[in-house]
Amino acid sequence: MAQATQTASGAVRTAAGPGRRRSAWQTLKRDRQLWIMILPAIVVILLFNYVPMYGIQLAFRDYDFTKGLTGGEWRGLYYFRQFIDSYMFADIMRNTVTISLATILLGFPAPIILALILNQVRWKRGKKMLQTVVYMPHFISIVVLVGLLNVLLSPNTGIVGYLLRSMGYEINLLASTSAFVPVYVLSDIWQHCGWNSIIYLAALSTVDPQLYDSAKIDGAGKWQTMRHIDLPAIAPTIIILFILSMGGVLTTGFEKIFLMQNTLNLPVSEVISTYVYKIGILSNQFSYSAAIGLFNTVINFFFLFVTNQIARRVSNISLW
Amino acid sequence: MKRAWSLILAFLLAASALAACSGGKNNDGGGGASDGASGGSGKRVKLTAIMTKHALTKPFAEMEWLQAAEERAGVEIEWEEVTADWSQKKGALLSSGDIPDLIIGPNAITDADIAMFPGLFQDLRDLIESHGPNVKAMFEAKPETRALATQTDGSIYGLPKYQRFWPATATRQYINQQWLDNLGLKMPTTWDELFDVLVAFKEQDANGNGDPNDEIPMDFAPVGTGGFGHFQPTVLLGSTGITLTNASGQGYFMEDGVVKNFLVDERYKRVVQFLAKCYAAGLINSEVFTQDYTKFQSVARGDGNTAKVGFTWGWEVTDRFGNTLAPQYVSMAPLKETADSDVQVSWDYTYEALNYGVNMVVMSARSKNKEAAMRFINELYDPVVSMQVLFGSIGPNIKDNGDGTYEVLPPADPAMDPGTWKWTSTWADNGPMYIADDLVLTLGTDMQSVGAQTEPLMPALDAIDKENDVLPTMFIKYSPEDNSTLALNNTNLMNLAMAKFSQWVTSGGIEQEWDNYVKEVERTGLPQSLEIIQRYVDENKRNQ
Repeated sequence: MAQATQTASGAVRTAAGPGRRRSAWQTLKRDRQLWIMILPAIVVILLFNYVPMYGIQLAFRDYDFTKGLTGGEWRGLYYFRQFIDSYMFADIMRNTVTISLATILLGFPAPIILALILNQVRWKRGKKMLQTVVYMPHFISIVVLVGLLNVLLSPNTGIVGYLLRSMGYEINLLASTSAFVPVYVLSDIWQHCGWNSIIYLAALSTVDPQLYDSAKIDGAGKWQTMRHIDLPAIAPTIIILFILSMGGVLTTGFEKIFLMQNTLNLPVSEVISTYVYKIGILSNQFSYSAAIGLFNTVINFFFLFVTNQIARRVSNISLW
Repeated sequence: MKRAWSLILAFLLAASALAACSGGKNNDGGGGASDGASGGSGKRVKLTAIMTKHALTKPFAEMEWLQAAEERAGVEIEWEEVTADWSQKKGALLSSGDIPDLIIGPNAITDADIAMFPGLFQDLRDLIESHGPNVKAMFEAKPETRALATQTDGSIYGLPKYQRFWPATATRQYINQQWLDNLGLKMPTTWDELFDVLVAFKEQDANGNGDPNDEIPMDFAPVGTGGFGHFQPTVLLGSTGITLTNASGQGYFMEDGVVKNFLVDERYKRVVQFLAKCYAAGLINSEVFTQDYTKFQSVARGDGNTAKVGFTWGWEVTDRFGNTLAPQYVSMAPLKETADSDVQVSWDYTYEALNYGVNMVVMSARSKNKEAAMRFINELYDPVVSMQVLFGSIGPNIKDNGDGTYEVLPPADPAMDPGTWKWTSTWADNGPMYIADDLVLTLGTDMQSVGAQTEPLMPALDAIDKENDVLPTMFIKYSPEDNSTLALNNTNLMNLAMAKFSQWVTSGGIEQEWDNYVKEVERTGLPQSLEIIQRYVDENKRNQ
């Protein structure tokens, strides 16, 4: 297939003009309809993702109501130092990394496995129904999901709490510091696993059926087909998605953790985003919370970059 | 042809994306433009105003008292009635600079907004002097209202309210009298007696439904991660002589003029030890730290006619237990720590927060009819009008006895409770008002019963030295630097203290961990915070 694309593009090249290298202007001109079609997207991204970046300087300034975003006194790295020297720094970083690493390590392989299994189901209607059932939870709003968790896990009235108690475990899953991360990660997998598997199923659907047939003729079992045909077929997708997810290594999301937080699990549930909310929104410390946010983004970017470099060296697949 | 179409389509898409983002800014400003050019004598002056009202409140055009007040002030107001998303609307409105003549609502415009948009709001000092006799009367009769209104530089932008009738505390303590009677128990007066009563509630079939295990002896409101609140066991600190101010959410209280924090106080340790003892004995609802407020309320309503909770805290008995179960409960006096304790018991003091409010009304500095607007504000602060702001119009809501005394009438719809009726009929607590102390008004049943249920607490509340034992939080305006220092320190403090509190109550261990904990708390910056607050409290005292 790769070979076919190459010849096709080669044909276009020879038709368009001489020389293998062409100037940027020429490609622009050749693809002008495509560029015009993508223009709205570029405008939106510039406007909403790049233009607001001028606000980043807030992290280096005092925020002054009267002088606006850019008018406050220049404080340099003062707010970054304040965060790193802060009493909460070690705890917050540990909690954030624990939660997001657990989410990546357990949550990342789950949709791959699900997709591989679903792909093996031969009964068409059953497969479709199963697929719908597993991706439905994705549409439950987070508030409702946490409400569900509260109802199900309640030690007095919840069904899970009741089962645990009847098996002799006296534990309040909503309150225990050791149960917080498992409850968070497992419910996350339950909610998003089906949805995230869609992209792998799409990748698997491009596999040429002839490959399966010839594997069968060669006497390969289900397990071997999966290992030697399916996995290699989705490997590029896996690597790209993994790089992207490493870009969120310090991003735990806010709503779910905030909603699940209570005073008993606070030692493990206070993460960067909830701390920023308490400092920035509830206490109006805009500069300080901007600095924490920027710190978070820089570390995320660092991980994204490193993973990308490693992936490029090792497998030749990368974002850029 | 095809190419032309795709070009047009792409252009339209780009244009609509741009239009969508520039549109947001312009929308809100237009509505509030003031057209105050008309000011001829005899004709009523047209004004514009925004009010943030309760979602239940009926349209202003149907409020008789408001129509009458506008007429007396010689103004005709075009109202915009806001019930939701005020903070979003406010941002667009203020940054456009085109605000209506008046903005009314509880702290609808905050001190921070006033500081952020200098020149947008009118300094009212001269107008009060020339056109605000009722406001002046309030400032003279209640000097604290002037203190609430005055910014650090002496200017006055927002006017406060004084609603007088609310009780001195938000938290009342309830026990199920019927359960006590069923089990032949006496009303507890000390912590130990309370403990014994709760054990009896747990072990016996106190509610008499045949199941000895469905009673929850003690329950309290969910403890948030950001600090304590009302209806929580921190009121037990009153037994040890600590006076909480407005629930003292972050632990700060005052004792003999010295600012302290109970989170590092030995007396707090004893309260936590008592609660841990109760929790270990299974006397406290096992979900107390994980349930939300709705669950906390619904558990106490029991199922049908069977009560579930024995001892708890709340605002008012029917609100807490529902109409069916309310008669079973009685309000209790504060407990003594031990039978031989000679400490003067205290309680949570919330009078200021319940009866005063800041920035209830502000005026645009660009209004063309400032005097007319001030005349209207002045009308609102007339005590008889203020009474109607709070409880509704004379006629349907209030009875005029003809001899200068008034009476709040019961709801016209018997299915409605008095609280809902009040919020439906008028601005209620959201309006600016001055209920003068010499106004004779008989209150409705809800307020009367709150008053009656506060009775057992009155000896303790009366004994509080309001000068030296109540932290004047409402009257302090911190500088931006001090405010941010306090905010950071307190966020750290709450992270540590709230987690420890719930951990100690549910699994004990306070004895071993206390000394280390106190050292940790010092590291969160508490000594610095205490020093800052003390400085402002002293300054506030000097200015009085």
